[in-house]
Amino acid sequence: MQLGFFFDQTRCSGCEACVLACKQWHSEDEDAVDYITVIEQEKGSYPDVQVKWLFLPCFHCADPPCIKVCPAEAIAKRAEDGLVTVDRGKCLGKLECGALCQKACPYGAPRFREQPSAKMEKCDGCPDRLEQGKDPICVASCPLFALAFGPTTERETRSGVTREVDGFRYRNGVGPSITFKPKR
Amino acid sequence: MKSIRKVPTGGCHDCGGRCPYTLHVEEGRVKRMEPHSTLRACVRGYAARQEAYSQDRLQQPLKRVGARGKGEFTTIGWDEALDIVALEMKRVKDQYGSDATLLLESGGRPGAAGPRIAVLFGKFGGCLISWGGPSAEGYVWASRATYGSLVTGNSRDDLVNSRMIMMWGWNPVDTIFSTGTSYQLVRAKEAGARIIGIDPRFTSSLAVFADQWIPIRPGTDTAMLTSMAYVLIEENLHDMAFLNKYTVGFEEYKNYVMGEGDSVPKTPEWAERITGTPAQAIRSLAREYARTKPAALITGYSAGRTASGEQFHRAAATLACMTGNVGISGGSSGGFENVLGLATLLGGNTTVGSRVHEAPGRLSLAGTLDSNLRNKTRVHWAKIWDAVLEGKAGGYPGDIKLLYVVGANPLNQCLDTNKGVEALRKLEFVVVHEQFMTPTARFADIVLPVSQHWATDSVMRPWYAGDYYVYGNKAIDSLPGTKSDYEISCELAARLGITGFPEKSPEEWQRDLVRTEPEMRRDIQDFDKFKKAGIWNIRVERPAISLRKQIEDPDANPFPTPSGKIEIFSSKIAELNSPDIPAVPKYIEDEPNMPDKYPLRLISFHHRVRAHSCFDNVNWLRRLEPQRVWINKDDARRRAIKDGELVQIFNERGVVRIPAKVTERIMPGVVAIGEGGWYRPDGQGVDEGGCVNVLIESRHSPGGAFVSNCNYVEVKGGL
Repeated sequence: MQLGFFFDQTRCSGCEACVLACKQWHSEDEDAVDYITVIEQEKGSYPDVQVKWLFLPCFHCADPPCIKVCPAEAIAKRAEDGLVTVDRGKCLGKLECGALCQKACPYGAPRFREQPSAKMEKCDGCPDRLEQGKDPICVASCPLFALAFGPTTERETRSGVTREVDGFRYRNGVGPSITFKPKR
Repeated sequence: MKSIRKVPTGGCHDCGGRCPYTLHVEEGRVKRMEPHSTLRACVRGYAARQEAYSQDRLQQPLKRVGARGKGEFTTIGWDEALDIVALEMKRVKDQYGSDATLLLESGGRPGAAGPRIAVLFGKFGGCLISWGGPSAEGYVWASRATYGSLVTGNSRDDLVNSRMIMMWGWNPVDTIFSTGTSYQLVRAKEAGARIIGIDPRFTSSLAVFADQWIPIRPGTDTAMLTSMAYVLIEENLHDMAFLNKYTVGFEEYKNYVMGEGDSVPKTPEWAERITGTPAQAIRSLAREYARTKPAALITGYSAGRTASGEQFHRAAATLACMTGNVGISGGSSGGFENVLGLATLLGGNTTVGSRVHEAPGRLSLAGTLDSNLRNKTRVHWAKIWDAVLEGKAGGYPGDIKLLYVVGANPLNQCLDTNKGVEALRKLEFVVVHEQFMTPTARFADIVLPVSQHWATDSVMRPWYAGDYYVYGNKAIDSLPGTKSDYEISCELAARLGITGFPEKSPEEWQRDLVRTEPEMRRDIQDFDKFKKAGIWNIRVERPAISLRKQIEDPDANPFPTPSGKIEIFSSKIAELNSPDIPAVPKYIEDEPNMPDKYPLRLISFHHRVRAHSCFDNVNWLRRLEPQRVWINKDDARRRAIKDGELVQIFNERGVVRIPAKVTERIMPGVVAIGEGGWYRPDGQGVDEGGCVNVLIESRHSPGGAFVSNCNYVEVKGGL
């Protein structure tokens, strides 16, 4: 089974509640990094303007490029649900390995804090919450209910659901686990 | 493994949301926040922990040592600090009388426990107080005049029944009134409602919900509404049966609209010149509104925070009547207000006990539409600095010597900040209760460090349409060195020789509140169950439609106005006999100051990462969206300003220096700065914090609205 996200782009208002809900769940530190990035796309010209947002966590890819490049074998993919996890005890740190995982990821999911010795951290899919039958914190926090999380196969057959939206390419051979309801 | 205690509580600041959530507490410290399953918090809520444990929290009383406003303080003990405050309170009262002390108390901390400093002043012989907050005054005035009531809204879950929704200056994604409102718009949109946004900015709300954006020049909304009325009359699209049955004064209004008195027919072409909105768009909107039923015209307060802001809300209500959308499911009275049967703001503040704290012998102001009468006895928030500087000689009700500030940041949030600096320097004594060294606290003589609301029990309710109450269970102890506003009041009472000042535990206060406050007594049957769950859902028939009874059976249920009908012509306003406040809604032009020198209209909006000025010092939030001035690409190009570039925004009142957000999402000729950025003057007095009120004139509309959105500036790049 592969768990993954569903993002209803038509409902996203770019409020970033998901970003901070995730951040406070995972860290108390002032210098904590965001595991989710929300990108704003402004198009058109006044007064025919459109704004869309893109939700970018870790996509827990089918074949994660980050795993292949990690010299310390610190990144792994869980057999039971496909979540991609990092063992920070094994991670060599940003400077020592040159943040190879971050460079390999087409979506920029691996994050490092500022210090040269910072270990990789990223969206972990909230396994602690999944165990309790809860959604990941980002999904549980969205005021407009634009996010869902679950087995990817269930959704891919639904009509109107896509694997790509403007600004996001589905890469074969990587297989990001996310589907979209795109905003036209 | 350490044990985690899960505490149901809620709220973060004085916002209209009041979100319920559960805190995970480990060894006396808040570790995490779990959102409610459906009433979900926003970014501000998720950053509340960073604020609560910020290293900037004040934990010792401070006494000023340098010149006032320099920010030079020494720490002192609580006893010494309270002795000084009590001594000054007595000195000023004895030397100058009760009117020499102005108390500014606002909602910087939600649901404070027990009676606060206001009750203390009541027992101390009273003091001068304020009226007219920066919020909804235009609406409140208009609704009282027109409907005789503020209970005019439909519950939010009724939005799904609207076939058309006009979001007029309404941005519920960023400005949260009743948590969960935005999700009801998702439902409405997905049910097929056509949604049109009328706003100078293409806000996030419009980006996600609106099918069409109609930009409009700030301060001209009434002109557009009036010309929509013209279209309805000209094309005979108005609901005469409704107007005859439920309203008075339509004929007078029609005469004004058609130009019979002033020879100016208020056509869409007339409005186009004023609003900048094409006449054709106005015609289409008017026709669509008249022909689509039910349709909800929902107004935010921003368009009412203008020179004649109450006229906007009066005109919107009139248009809602002309289309027969009042008191029906899927419609709207033209506002979006308190809802019958739900938690409103009408039952008083969530503070127990007497709030009679004015000096004795004052006139009763309840329900009056006469701002002059109010100004004779109280100080309007927009005029606080003028009152300090001019005193009785300037027509204000006191010569103010002592300013007492609780849960407020007036230097930042009142109008004309530089005038505020001058006024604060003139005062004899300034006391501020604060968690942080805010711009106002910098000007204090004594700063008393207060605790955060998670450290005490409290009861909260969302504003206007919330179908629940929140019990804010105490989750943590106060930070060492801090006291609650209530504890400070008790300790000052002892020093002032005030006996019988009520001393109860915060939980006992909440119990009393729930037992005595009319709405809570009506709604909450079981206090212990409420406290345990942290939330109490109100059971009412849904959706709730406030004015339904008046519409379905008007003879048995007259409107609470002098005529018993909706007053398009208001006899109460007519009695005031003032050209600034006509008895039927009219567009009144506000003359710009020096339009050649300052050609850009400035608006001030609620920023998504702050609750007014709260949270501006939280880095997690600042990083999401730094303070910037919105400017249209054409205006930026003409001034050679690039996106992200540091620019100066200035007029005759002051200078603000922040980066520009160059965007197509704002009307040309308009610039916008989110309110609440902390005033941070450099050596030359240029504000680097982005406090919009540096640029705003200190005035209020005839009805009492802050005139926040009628100011003019120039913007300069290449610094």
